[in-house]
Amino acid sequence: MVGQEVSLKQTTKLQKIWVGSKPYILALLIAFGITGAIIGLLGYNVLKAYQTLLFTSFTSQRGIIETLKKFIPLTLTTYAFAIPFKIRFFNIGGWGQMLFGGTITAIVGIALAGFNLPAIIFIPILILVAMAAGGVFALIAGFLKAYYNINPIISTIMLNFIAIYFVNFIATTEPWKAPRTGHPMSLKLPEAARLPELFGQIHFGIVIVALVIIAVYYLINKTVLGYEIIATGINPDAASVYGIKMRRTLMLTFLIGGALGGLAGGIEVMGVHQRLIEGFALTSGAQYGIFGILTALICQGNPLGVPLSSIFISILLVGADAMQRTLQVPVELVFLSQAIIVLFIVVLRRRAGGSFIQ
Amino acid sequence: MGHYTEMLKQVISYTSIYGLASLGIVIGGRTGIFNISGEGIMLASASAGFIAAYQTGNWFIGFLVGALMGGLFGLLLIYIHESLKISQFILGITLVILGTGLSDLLYKTIIGFQLFAPEAPKVPQIRIPIISEIPIISGILNQDVIVYFTYIVVFLAYYIFYHTRIGLETRAIGEDPLAADVVGINVKLRRYIATISGGALMGLAGAYLPLVVTGTYTTNISNGRGFMAIGIAIFASWRPERALLGAFIFAAIEVFSFQQQLGSSLFPYQFLLMLPFISVLVIMWLFRKRIEFPASLGKTYSRE
Amino acid sequence: MVKENKVLEAKNVSKRFGEVQALDKVNFDLNEGEIHGLLGENGAGKTTLMNILYGLFTEDEGEIYIRGERVKINSPLDSIKLGIGMIHQSSTLVPEFTALENLILGTDGNKMSLELKDAEKEIEQFQKDFGLKFPLHTKVKDLPAGLKKKIEIIRAIYRGANILILDEPTTSLVQEEFEKLLESLKKMVAEGVTIVFITHKIKEVIQACDRASVLTGGIMQGTIDTKKATKEDLVQLMFQDAEINITESAIPIINLPDVEKTSEPILKLQNISAQSKEKDGINLDSISLKIYGGEILGIAGISGNGQKELAEVIIDPNNITKGKLILKGKKINGMSTNKVFSRKVSYIPEDRKKESIIGLGNITENVLLGHQREPRFQKKGIIKWDKVTREAKNIINEFQVKTPNEKKKAGKLSGGNIQRVVIGRALINELDLLVTHSPTAGLDMASVEFVFKRLVELRSKGTAVLYINEDLDELMQVSDRIGVIHEGKIVEIFGQDQFDKYKIGSKMIGG
Repeated sequence: MVGQEVSLKQTTKLQKIWVGSKPYILALLIAFGITGAIIGLLGYNVLKAYQTLLFTSFTSQRGIIETLKKFIPLTLTTYAFAIPFKIRFFNIGGWGQMLFGGTITAIVGIALAGFNLPAIIFIPILILVAMAAGGVFALIAGFLKAYYNINPIISTIMLNFIAIYFVNFIATTEPWKAPRTGHPMSLKLPEAARLPELFGQIHFGIVIVALVIIAVYYLINKTVLGYEIIATGINPDAASVYGIKMRRTLMLTFLIGGALGGLAGGIEVMGVHQRLIEGFALTSGAQYGIFGILTALICQGNPLGVPLSSIFISILLVGADAMQRTLQVPVELVFLSQAIIVLFIVVLRRRAGGSFIQ
Repeated sequence: MGHYTEMLKQVISYTSIYGLASLGIVIGGRTGIFNISGEGIMLASASAGFIAAYQTGNWFIGFLVGALMGGLFGLLLIYIHESLKISQFILGITLVILGTGLSDLLYKTIIGFQLFAPEAPKVPQIRIPIISEIPIISGILNQDVIVYFTYIVVFLAYYIFYHTRIGLETRAIGEDPLAADVVGINVKLRRYIATISGGALMGLAGAYLPLVVTGTYTTNISNGRGFMAIGIAIFASWRPERALLGAFIFAAIEVFSFQQQLGSSLFPYQFLLMLPFISVLVIMWLFRKRIEFPASLGKTYSRE
Repeated sequence: MVKENKVLEAKNVSKRFGEVQALDKVNFDLNEGEIHGLLGENGAGKTTLMNILYGLFTEDEGEIYIRGERVKINSPLDSIKLGIGMIHQSSTLVPEFTALENLILGTDGNKMSLELKDAEKEIEQFQKDFGLKFPLHTKVKDLPAGLKKKIEIIRAIYRGANILILDEPTTSLVQEEFEKLLESLKKMVAEGVTIVFITHKIKEVIQACDRASVLTGGIMQGTIDTKKATKEDLVQLMFQDAEINITESAIPIINLPDVEKTSEPILKLQNISAQSKEKDGINLDSISLKIYGGEILGIAGISGNGQKELAEVIIDPNNITKGKLILKGKKINGMSTNKVFSRKVSYIPEDRKKESIIGLGNITENVLLGHQREPRFQKKGIIKWDKVTREAKNIINEFQVKTPNEKKKAGKLSGGNIQRVVIGRALINELDLLVTHSPTAGLDMASVEFVFKRLVELRSKGTAVLYINEDLDELMQVSDRIGVIHEGKIVEIFGQDQFDKYKIGSKMIGG
C-alpha cells in the first residue's frame, strides 16, 4: 500500500522484552488461576498443591534428577514436532517414532548380545539405530505426503497406533519377551548397551540431548539446509520458484524430526529401563510424544525456544507426579492446565500482534 | 440367531459411531473448517455422557450431555478461529489434548476408583412393529435409537447440501468464502452453526461408546476412532452419503478384527488390532486420485 | 443531460490498516445515471474506498448517504439491499459452481429447494437485454476470464443493483472486448444504472467516463468533468508536481536506444511442449521462440494462457514433454533450477508477495534466496552471513530501497521497495538472460519508471530480456518485439513497426 506511513514508534529493547513476554506471563497466570480454582473446588489445599507442583523440581536432589530425566526425552519429542512444523507440517507421530525407535533399539540390542561388543561401540550403534528407526518411521508419512499428497496429520496418527501394537507384540513374543513377568516387557539389554550414569545419578542421555540442542541450533541458523527449511516454511511458493525442492525439504524435515523422536525412545530404553517395557514412553498420565507437541506449541514451534519450554514442562510434570503421590490430586489436572496454557499463549500472542504461522 | 447375523447387527450398530463422527467432520468441512479434534471430543463426551447417565440413571440425558460437550468443543474451536484467525489445526490438536485430559479428570473426580466398573443405564432397542416379527431381519434391524438417528441425519445432510439453496450457499463457503461473502451470505454464522453441530454429532458418537458398546467408561475408550473418522471424511470426498459408506466399512473392519482376535491364535493378534489403522492409510492411498475436497478447507478466511 | 441527483455521497471517509492510512477524509459523490471514473495509481486507495461502499470493509470514520438518506453498511448484504453491486478485479465467483448456480447464490427464493427454471428464464432475459452472453451450465473454472466478468455484471444486475462498481475491468480484457463492454454499460445507464469505473489508465477515463475523481495516497485530489478535461489536467491531478512523463495509459515514456543484438540467440525454444505445474494450468504446445542478447522480447496474452508455464519451463525445464530448450547453444532439458541460475539466468516472478519474497524474513535473508547454493555465499553447506549482509547493503544503496537498514522484515516494505529488492537480487551476478513476469503490477508510477529503466539498462548491456506482461500498453512501450501467447501457443510475433493495439489484442483472444 502506498497510502501514508503513520508514526513509526521507536521501541527500546527492554520494552520489546516486556511486550514479548506479556502473553506468556498472562497465559500462565490464567491457566494457574483456573487450575487452582478447580483444585480448590475439589477440596484440596491449593497452596500446598502449588508448592508441590512448582517447587518439587528444586527442593531436592531427587527432584532435579527427575526433572532432567523427563527433560531428556521431552526435548527430543518436542523437536520431533517442531522441525516439520517449521515448514508448516504437523508431525503428530513423535509418539509413534519414540515407540518405534525404542523397540527397534531393543530388538537390535538383544540380537547383538552375543557379540560381546564393548560399550564404546555398542552404544553409538544403538543410538544410530534408534535414530534411523525413528527417521524411517516418520519418513513413511513424509513420503506419503510428498508423493501422494496424503495428509501427514492422519498418517502420523495412524502410525502411532500401529507402533503401540508393535511394542506390545515385541514385548510379549519370543524371542524378545522376558520370561515370567506379568507386565509386557522384553529381555534386559546387555550391560554394554546400557547408557552409563554420570556422577552416579543421571544417565548419559543428558549429554546426548545437550549435543542435539547445539546441533539443531547450528542447523537452523547456519546451514544452507536450515535456511531452505525456514524459507520453505515462510513462503513455500517463493522457495520452490527459487530452486528449493519442496519434496526434498519435506522429507528431510520428517526424517530429522523422526530421528530425534526415535532417539528419545532409544535413550529411554537404553538409559532408564534397560529393556523394552510397555509404557516406557508414558509419563504423568500421557505420552512424551503428546507432551512434545504441547511443549512445541508453547514456544511457537521455534526450535530455538525448545529447551526453555521443555524445562518448564518437565518441572510441571515432576510436580504433577508429586502432587498426585502426596496429595492425591489427579495428575490429569496438570495435563489439562498445560493444554489451557497452550491455548492462552496462542490466543494472547495473536492478540499482541504476533505472527503465528497459519 | 446365526453368528453372522450377530456380527452384521454389531456392524450396523458400530456404523453410528464412525458415521456420526465423520458426518460431524464433513459438515464443518463443507464450510471450510477442518475440525481434527474428534478424538478429544469423543473422549470428553464419553466421560461426561457416561457420568451424566450414571448419576441420573437416564440414558437419554447421557447422550444429551455428550452432544452438549461436543457442541461446546465445537464452539470453542470456531470462536477462537474466527475471532483470532488462529490455525484450525493447532486449535484442533490442542482440543484433542484438552479433551483427553478432561475425560479422565472428570471420571476420576466424580466417579473415582471403583472396585467393580459402574454400569451405564441400558439403552433400549427400537422394535419396529411388523419388521420385528421377521426372524433374521429383525435380529439385524433391532437397533437402538441412535442408530436410526444416524441414518436419518446422514440423509438430511445429504438432501440439504445437494438439493436445497441453503445447501448450495453453505457449500459455496467451503469452496470460496469470499465468493459467498460478496453475495451476502453470512459466512461467520454458518460456520458457527456447522462447527457446533458437527461437534455435537461427534459428542454423540463419543457417548455411544460407554453407553452402548462397552457399558462403562474406561480410559482411552475411543482408541483412535476420532482420528479414523477424519480419514473417513477425506475418503468420502466430504459427502455425507459416502461418509456413511466409509463408516460401515470401518465398523466392519473393527468387528472383523475383534472376532479374529477371539478365534484363531495363528496370526499375532496385535496385527489384527493394527488393521483399522493400516486400512485408513491403504484406503487413502488407493483413492488418492479420486479424492476431492472443498477448496478452502483448513484455510483461514479474512476480508482484508 | 445528466440529472444532478446525488445517488450516493461519501463524506470524510477514513480508513487505516495498521501503520498505513489508506484513506484520509475522502469525499466522493455520484450523480444518478453517470459513468464516474475513479482514477489513481496502484495503491492509491481506490479499491479500499469501494470495498467500504460495498460492505467488505468498515470505515474508521465518515458518513455514507444513499439518495439523501444516511446509511450504515456493515456487510455486502446491506449494500446489495441498497442496490450497490461490485465487480472486483479478480473473479469472486465460486469456481466449482456453474454460472447459473453462481448467479442465484444468496438470492431470495425457496431456500429449501433447488428449483432454478424461473431464475434461468429471468437471467436469459438480462443476457439478451444487455448483450452479455455466456453459458449457464458450465463450471465457472472452465470459462475464460472475459466471460467471468460478464457473469459478475449480470449477477449484480440480477440482484437489482442500480449502482455498479467495476474495479479495473480491463485487467483481463483486450481493446475489442473493452469497447463491447462499454456498449453494454451504456445500455445499463439508459435503464437508470449509475456506474463507477475504477482504473489507473487515463485513456480509459477519457474514453468511458462523464466525470472523474482522482485519488492519490488516500487523499481525494478533486473531481472534474471529463468532457472538458484533457489528459494533462488528469496527469496534473494524479501527480501534482512530480516530474513524470507518461502516456495516456499512464505508462512512463521510455526511449529505447539503438542496441546491437547478438548474432546468436541466447535462448532458443524449439517446438517446446511442456506440462503445466498448476492444477488448472495450460500446457505449452509446440512453442518456438528465439531471444537475442540486447533485446526485450515482450510476451502478450490474457492471464492464464500459458505465460506462467512459459516462464517456468525456462527456469525449471523438468516438465518438457517434447522439443529442445537451448541456452547459449547448449541443450538444458531437465536441468535443475539452481543449475539454470548458475548459467547466468535470473527470474522475477509474477506475484511479488506470493512468489518472490519470504515476508517474515528480513532483507538480508531475502537477498540470499535463489543464491543460497552459490560458492560466494556458502562453503560446504555453511552460510557466510557476513557476505550476504554486505550484498544486501549494496542492493539497498544501488537500488534506492527505502528502508532504515537491511534488518527490516521484507513483508513490511511497500510494493515498490519489495520489487527493488527483488530486482536487485536478480541482478547480483552478470546476466545473459532475465525472465520477468509482470514486474510492474501494483507499483506506483515512480517504481514503474525505475523498473523500466533497469530493464533498458540490461538490454543495453547485452542481456536478453523476456518480458511477460498482461498489460499491452506497457509491453508496447518497452519491447523490441512482442510475441502473443494464446492457449499455450505462440500465435504471432510482432516487430516494433507492427505494434497495433487492436491487431495484437485480437490475437490475444484467438482472433
